Amino acid sequence: MTAEDKLHRRLRLAGTLLAGGLLTEAICLLWARPLAFIVLVGLGGLLVTAGIATYLYSLVSVRHPAGSSDAIQLKP
Amino acid sequence: MPHATALLVSLVLLSALLVALLAFRPSVTTTQGGKMFAFVVLFLLPLLCMAMGVNSEVERSKSTQFCLSCHIMEPYGHSLRVDDPNYLAAAHYQNHRVPAESACYTCHTNYAMFGSVRAKLHGLRHVYIQYFGNAQPPLHLYDAYNNRECLHCHLGARSFEEGAVHNADPDLLAAVKSNQTSCISSGCHDTVHNTSQLNKTKFWKGVP
Repeated sequence: MTAEDKLHRRLRLAGTLLAGGLLTEAICLLWARPLAFIVLVGLGGLLVTAGIATYLYSLVSVRHPAGSSDAIQLKP
Repeated sequence: MPHATALLVSLVLLSALLVALLAFRPSVTTTQGGKMFAFVVLFLLPLLCMAMGVNSEVERSKSTQFCLSCHIMEPYGHSLRVDDPNYLAAAHYQNHRVPAESACYTCHTNYAMFGSVRAKLHGLRHVYIQYFGNAQPPLHLYDAYNNRECLHCHLGARSFEEGAVHNADPDLLAAVKSNQTSCISSGCHDTVHNTSQLNKTKFWKGVP
């Protein structure tokens, strides 16, 4: 599996978690019952936090091959 | 549905759509513009939506309608419509001494530092007891009602400071202000909700 494939797989996972969290939030905003607040923070907040963490992790975890346009070039 | 909520739900759904687009087509992130798009869609927008959503829910939780949406609170909602000026909660609600749309919160929040946070924590406990506990009327406050909540509005008001009854005893005002004599449990303003007496009262049919 290439670095790009790994990155795309993690972005897909982050997107799925975030979409789930945002849909939960939309339902809670329309629901307007006391339990909605608990579900919004407990479930929606958890999914969004996990999604953002996965996205940020995907940025720092994938190693780009030296010389590629995304690799950091260190000058001697 | 209020316009603000409708706008927020639209923003959340639009964000979810963009997130889903990125989840299905992660290859768009190979370009510089795609990377910036991903940062906005996978980081900034969800954070913004969650912050606005929590703020919206917190504001909604201050509404009278929200407090009275639990079955056990219904008698307290009815007590706001009692047609008797001696009923403290009803007199405040009907005469707009408190905002009618947030009447419960205005009197039952805590006007000390972090009072709103304490009120919200109590609210979470209410929800827990509603669904997992066995709450039975009559309901009781967690702590004795503090005069601070009354004085938040009444302190300095002419009717309070110069009222004949308040000044009949020269020590009374000082005792009330220092919370040594309770406004509501010392025999002066002790008819508050009195939900057990509601079957004997008339109700106001107006719109607050």
